[in-house]
Amino acid sequence: MRDLLTDRISTGIPGLDAMLGGGLIAGRPYVVSGTTGAGKTMLGIQFLHQGVKQGERALLVAVDEPPSEIRENVRALGWDVGKIRILDVHPASKAFNKRVSLVEVAAQRSVGALREMGAGARDEAMKQVMPDISIQSLQLMLKQELQETSYSRVVVDSLTSLKKLSENQEDKASGIMSLLRFIAETGVTALIVTDLPDPTELEPELFLCRGEIRLHKRMVSSRLDRWVTVEKLRGSAHDTMPRPMTISEVGLTVDPDRKIPKNSMRVLQAFTQFAR
Amino acid sequence: MIKDKVKTGVPGLDEMLDGGLIPGRVYAVSGTSGTGKTTLAMQFLLEGVKSGERVLYIALDEPPNEVRLNMKSYGWDVGRVQVFDATPDVMSYDRTPVRDVSTERKVVYFRDLPDTVRLTSEKSPADMTVNTIQELVRQEMKVRKYSRIVVDSLTSLRFFYIRTSEENASLISFLRLLSDIGVTSLLTVHLPEVSRPDVEIHMARGEIRLHKWYDGRGLIRGITVEKYRGSSHDHRLRMIKITSTGVVVKSPPAEKKTRTADDQHGAEDRVPDSEELPPPPDDVVQEPVHQPPPDRQDQIPPAPPGAGQNGTEGGT
Repeated sequence: MRDLLTDRISTGIPGLDAMLGGGLIAGRPYVVSGTTGAGKTMLGIQFLHQGVKQGERALLVAVDEPPSEIRENVRALGWDVGKIRILDVHPASKAFNKRVSLVEVAAQRSVGALREMGAGARDEAMKQVMPDISIQSLQLMLKQELQETSYSRVVVDSLTSLKKLSENQEDKASGIMSLLRFIAETGVTALIVTDLPDPTELEPELFLCRGEIRLHKRMVSSRLDRWVTVEKLRGSAHDTMPRPMTISEVGLTVDPDRKIPKNSMRVLQAFTQFAR
Repeated sequence: MIKDKVKTGVPGLDEMLDGGLIPGRVYAVSGTSGTGKTTLAMQFLLEGVKSGERVLYIALDEPPNEVRLNMKSYGWDVGRVQVFDATPDVMSYDRTPVRDVSTERKVVYFRDLPDTVRLTSEKSPADMTVNTIQELVRQEMKVRKYSRIVVDSLTSLRFFYIRTSEENASLISFLRLLSDIGVTSLLTVHLPEVSRPDVEIHMARGEIRLHKWYDGRGLIRGITVEKYRGSSHDHRLRMIKITSTGVVVKSPPAEKKTRTADDQHGAEDRVPDSEELPPPPDDVVQEPVHQPPPDRQDQIPPAPPGAGQNGTEGGT
C-alpha cells in the first residue's frame, strides 16, 4: 500500500507544494479561502488541470459562475481545460437549458426528470427542486455523479454561495458536516472554495477540513500585494510563513523561498494582533 | 500535592500547571484552527499509555484512521489508545428511519482500525446524539476503567450532535458525567479568530489555550493557561513549538534572550494582558478586541474598525 503521508498530491501551483511539505494528503477535503479576486477559482482550476495532465479525472462544481464564463476566463490563460468536467449547479442552470462545449454533466438531469413527469407531480417537484440548490442537493448531485464516474479531484466553487442559497440556518452546519464526510468517504481529494471567514464566526467547514490554504490580497502602501498562507494542514509539517504569490498569464505562482515585503508583514501582524 | 497531579505529556506544560492537571476533572484545550489542539490531546493520552493507563479517544471531527495516519507523522504509535469512532454519517436526506448506533459501534484500539474510512451504510445511516455518546461512555467505564479521555472536539458535539433545544441540557449532563466518573478528560474547543466567550469552557475546570499570530518575522505560537481551578499556575504567555515530536513549551528566560527587537512586540502585548487580569473565572471572558499598546502606534497602524471582517480594506 502506498504511503499517504509521503506520497502527496500536487496542487499544480508552482511553489505551493513546497509550502505544503510536498503537496496535499490524498483523499481528504481542504478549504481554499480568500477575498474576492484573491485567485481562489484560479487555484481550483489549476489543481484540476494538474490532475487532468496526469491522466486523472477532475470535476469542477460550479456554483458561482456559469461554466461558459469560467471557460472564457481560463481560455485567456491558454490552458486546455476541455477535459475538466463541470457539474453546473449555478442557479440559472435550472432556468435555461443551454449547452456549452465544456463537458457538462448533471445540469440537465433534474430538468430532464421534470419534463417526464405529469403536470401535478411536476408542480410538486418544482417546489422541491427550484429552491433546492443547497448544500444538501449538492451532496445528492455529487453522489449521483461520483457513482457514474470516478474522480480523483473535485473542486467546489464556492461553498459560500451554497450557504447563502441554503435557506435553513440550522441545517447548514449539519449539511456541511455531511458534505465533508461524504467527500472523505468517497476518497477524492477535494478543494472547497470559501470566502474569507468572518473572524468572529466559527465556520464548520474550517474546523472540519483537513487543511486550509488562505489567499491574501491587500493594498499595502498603495500597491496591491498578494501572498498565501497555509493556516492548517493535518498530518503534515508545513511552511508557516506567508509567501509571495503572483497571478500572471501562466496562472498562480508562489515563491516558497522569499519572504513577503515588510510592509505586508506589518499588515498581517496588525490583523492578527486585532484578532487575538 | 504535586506528585498526585496528572502529567500532560507536553514538555514544559506541567511546569506551567504547577505539576500537571488535578485528576478526575474536565479540562478544555482551545485554539483557532491549526494551533495544535489534537496533537496536544494525543500527547496527553500517550502519556497515560506510557504509564500503563487505559485511555480513550472519542473522535468526532476526523475519521480515526486519518488521525492515526496524522500522528504517524510525529513518529507516534497510537495503537494502544482506545478509540471510539463517533464521527457522524453522511446524511441521506430522505425519510428512511435511522438506527440507534450505540449498540453497533464499538470501542477499539487504534491499532485494530482499518486503513480506510468507515462508510455510511447505504440503507440506514446512524443517528448519533450527545445522549448516545454519553451512554456509551457510561457503559464503557463499567467495563474498562479509563483514566484519561479526550473528546475531539467538543465544538463538533455542540454543532452536530444536538438537534433539539432539550439536548442543550444533555451537553451539560455529558460534561457532568465525565467529572462524576472520575476520569481526567481533555475536550478540544475550536475558537473563531476573534474569540468570544464560549459556554462550554465555563463548565471546564481549567482551560489551556493555544495561540498563533504573526509578528514582524513570521508565525509565532503560544500557550496560556486561561484558568485552572484549585491550583496555582503560570499566568504568562509561553512560546510553543510544534516539532517533529509534538508540542513543546519553551522556557521563558532563554526565549527572551534569543528574540530580536522586532520579535518582542508579539510577546509583550500579550503578557500584560494575562497579568492584569485576575485569576479565573473572569479571565476566560475576554474583550474581543486587543488594541496595540500606544507606544507602537507610530510603527503599526492600528487595525481599522472592522478590519478583517471581510478583509477587503486597504492599508495606508
